[in-house]
Amino acid sequence: MAHNRSNLRHGVDVARPLGIGFILAAMLPLVILPLASIFIFGFSKGPVHFWDALMTPAALFSLRLSLMTSSVATICNVIFGLIAAWVMSKYAFKGSSALMIIISLPTAIPTAVAGFALLLVWGRNGLLGQFLEHTDYQIMFTTAAIILANIFVTFPLAFGVIKPALDNLDTSYEEAAETIGATRWQTFRYVVLPSLRGALVTGALLTFARSIGEFGSTIMVSGNLALKTQTAPLYIFTKFNEGDVEGANAIAAVLAILSFAVFSLILFTRQKLEK
Amino acid sequence: MIRENVATSFQETQTYVEPATETRAALVVRGLSKWFGSEQVLDDVSFSLAEGESLVLLGPSGSGKSTTLRLIAGLEAPESGEIFLHGRHIEHLPARERNVGVIFQNYALFPRMTVAENIGFGLRIRGIGKKRRHEVVERLLAMIGLHGQRDKYPAQLSGGQQQRVAIARALAYEPELLLFDESFSALDPKIRVTLRGEIRALLKKLRVPALFITHDQEEAMELGDQVAILNGGRLEQIGTPREVYNNPQTEFVATFVGAANVVEACWRDGHIAIDCTQCPETAASARKMERSKLVFRPEDITLGLPTGLVETPYHLGRGRVVDVSFNGATETLRVQLQQRRQPGALTSVVPARSCGMEADSPCDLVIRVVRSKWDAERLPLAVGAPVSVGLRSYKTLS
Ligand SMILES: Nc1ncnc2c1ncn2[C@@H]1O[C@H](COP(=O)(O)OP(=O)(O)O)[C@@H](O)[C@H]1O
Ligand SMILES: [Mg+2]
Repeated sequence: MAHNRSNLRHGVDVARPLGIGFILAAMLPLVILPLASIFIFGFSKGPVHFWDALMTPAALFSLRLSLMTSSVATICNVIFGLIAAWVMSKYAFKGSSALMIIISLPTAIPTAVAGFALLLVWGRNGLLGQFLEHTDYQIMFTTAAIILANIFVTFPLAFGVIKPALDNLDTSYEEAAETIGATRWQTFRYVVLPSLRGALVTGALLTFARSIGEFGSTIMVSGNLALKTQTAPLYIFTKFNEGDVEGANAIAAVLAILSFAVFSLILFTRQKLEK
Repeated sequence: MIRENVATSFQETQTYVEPATETRAALVVRGLSKWFGSEQVLDDVSFSLAEGESLVLLGPSGSGKSTTLRLIAGLEAPESGEIFLHGRHIEHLPARERNVGVIFQNYALFPRMTVAENIGFGLRIRGIGKKRRHEVVERLLAMIGLHGQRDKYPAQLSGGQQQRVAIARALAYEPELLLFDESFSALDPKIRVTLRGEIRALLKKLRVPALFITHDQEEAMELGDQVAILNGGRLEQIGTPREVYNNPQTEFVATFVGAANVVEACWRDGHIAIDCTQCPETAASARKMERSKLVFRPEDITLGLPTGLVETPYHLGRGRVVDVSFNGATETLRVQLQQRRQPGALTSVVPARSCGMEADSPCDLVIRVVRSKWDAERLPLAVGAPVSVGLRSYKTLS
């Protein structure tokens, strides 16, 4: 609405083309070029090359592992986020603001620190890890460790989306359901949950997107074992270090496309489900 | 027919308290008090609502109307007091067990359910089968005249349609009482009047007792078999609209329900006198004077030519028109009364016959007068015109 108005008043508004030009000029070396180069280099030797690099067992395994661990972490954090949002939004209790900060803390912590902290808990001599020492179960350097790391670093993301949605939900809907005769569960199931679907989907996608690219904490707790605990970002890093640029590039391109798709979905659900 | 009515008869005999009035009452509220923190929002509120009738809680914003409704619905808990629904104690029951229908101020239709799903919700959660549910929903849709809208979502409906769906949704599970919280205030005035009439007719047909809440006195008069006036958490008066309008018990009721002139008055020599400023503490006559307030409606005044006497039972002497405004069917005037010259004399409300017409001087007392279009045509009055002021009836407040 605003851009038309200034145009009509002054004929040609130089601020507009200059402003847009500035944004593009700044973004080109900072963002656009690096993104584009992934695809330019990925396909520079032709699609067959790209395909071959992608189809190696280790590459495919790393993608599958990333998808799997991110999905599990997403499910855990959405369920936790929903319950936590409900409790924090419905009940006032002493120390609730302190709890709020603690819930939100994990994403603020550097991922390497998060991974290190997990090692201190689950490692051989860790707080809890020592009890696993003489059992057949191990957490560190397994898939479970990757999932734990993913859960940790994406912990408050779903909560952060669901909580405000729940806060903004007019309580009169719940009160109406109650006077009609619904139990608390029925009210939650039929009235609250449907109103939160936009927030749930957005929260899940955010968690997933953040989780699938996780590197810092994963490399600390996974051991980076090819075909065992090597996620896609670790694969890219490892291949590049080994000098296999094409191998790194193929997975990088896939991850970039995946993130782009998830991001588009987030925008789409914001518009479609949250109205 | 859907509701289970097994356990109630036993409880009814238990709480069989005051035979004549209370058993016929659908709702009895007794001694209800509510605090929010250190603020007392309701103070010992008691009233009852007869079967099939409607009661309107009328009061200014913040007087505790919504709180009263929420206490009856079970959405808040009172500090003290009892609530009986058809003779059964309900104040300790959770909202879902009270079998009360609430039409919220914003209607609170479930946004992700269609009109039909909204209406059927009460049956669905009671485990009523699809077929039966469908029957009830179709019947209610026909009743509210929204058959074509059954698959729409609330956001696609107008305010009036939403209100009707909210009523149908409440009626579906056959509540023993309907509660309406400011249900008309969000609608535009034309629709408001039509809907009020429709809802009143519907409730009379279904014989469902209803409690309305409003701050609009015109709406209260139209909707209520009984009107209860709430002020600052206290019930000031309860009665039929006629009683409340014609026989207000407090100054608040007099001025809140319709317009009223309230003036300081004194009893003197067996008749009432009003003073322009204040009743003197010690009158020249040394006779003890009793002070009270005099209330009369703007339409209780009849204006006449200053040269003659108006043919009304009482007379307020002479006055001067200070303001005239045209309202269509009526005309509103403000008239400044004039005081007699004698020292210490008061403008008397006296039988017209004994009223003399001595020269007067203006005083501070300005009263509001409403005349019908026909009276205004018979005696056109402009600002500044001198008039004689007749009074048809008045009330005194202690
Ligand atoms: N949940 C609440 N917490 C604290 N104060 C409240 C709450 N609900 C209402 N009040 C107060 O109680 C008073 C009466 O409110 P309400 O019953 O909503 O009045 P009305 O419906 O007549 O406008 C107001 O002063 C309001 O601020
Ligand atoms: Mg209110």
